[in-house]
Amino acid sequence: MIASLWQAVWHSFLSGSFWYPLAFVCFALGTLIPAALVALSRNIVHAALWLLPCLVSVAGLYLLLGAELLAAIQILVYCGGIVVLILFAIMLTHGVGDPDVRVHNQQLLWGVVAAMGVAGLILRLLTQEAWQVAASPPPADVTGRLADALMGPYLLAFEVVSVILLAALIGAIVIARGESPAQEPQGPFGHAQGRPAGSEGKE
Amino acid sequence: MSNPAVIPIHAYLIVSTLLFAIGVLAVLTRRNAIAVLMGIELMLNAANINFVVFWRYGGADKMEGLVFAVTVIALAAAEAAIALAIILSVYRRFKTVNVDQINLMRG
Repeated sequence: MIASLWQAVWHSFLSGSFWYPLAFVCFALGTLIPAALVALSRNIVHAALWLLPCLVSVAGLYLLLGAELLAAIQILVYCGGIVVLILFAIMLTHGVGDPDVRVHNQQLLWGVVAAMGVAGLILRLLTQEAWQVAASPPPADVTGRLADALMGPYLLAFEVVSVILLAALIGAIVIARGESPAQEPQGPFGHAQGRPAGSEGKE
Repeated sequence: MSNPAVIPIHAYLIVSTLLFAIGVLAVLTRRNAIAVLMGIELMLNAANINFVVFWRYGGADKMEGLVFAVTVIALAAAEAAIALAIILSVYRRFKTVNVDQINLMRG
């Protein structure tokens, strides 16, 4: 009895039918628990740091689903870029890091009710549905085929995204630059423009 | 060996639904605008998980799901940069980033 049970467990070890659900449960809990701490943590710096294991676990879910390139992009862009950007913004806006500041607004109860309502509605709908889908084994060269798709039929979307990134780059610089260059009385070129007009003599 | 059929599609969808609900909770209840932005990032990740799941379980021979996911990640990066620039600009003007204290348009 014990020997057969042990043999079954060992067989599932070898065949991979044990490791995939275990890894899935680990990544799912590693996604949801840090996400809840992001929503509920009192310190905003801790919330931003809890975003990190959440996003890494989402990358793990991508790996389980067979999208290796997307997992790499997730770690590079989210964990390397967006979390660092958020931490920079937290440190540039002071006074938010002390834990005595109230972190939730007056509608905490209604927010919890609304979030549970959204979750309940979607869960009810998706468990009613009998998904007629089958997990076929993954295709051999996912990354190469994704590159072919991006450079082939979806080239327009790719180019539009690159234009949007350029526009966001310029827009972020313009918005975050502040008003100090526009307030200078000597125009955008500083001394080179102001000095011949004799503006220093007036002051 | 690599047989993902042992994990039903419902498990992934439940995880992404709960992640989306947590993002909604963060957006609705947080006072700090940066924390609201973090909630938006959680919701975008939930949507991305759904894209990849339906790509994988809907027959992985078409690449639309992954193309959508890559596009969403790029747009999320652009959105985060713009949103944080706006938050810094708002902080410079109002000396706060709490969204319930920025009520300039209240009558």
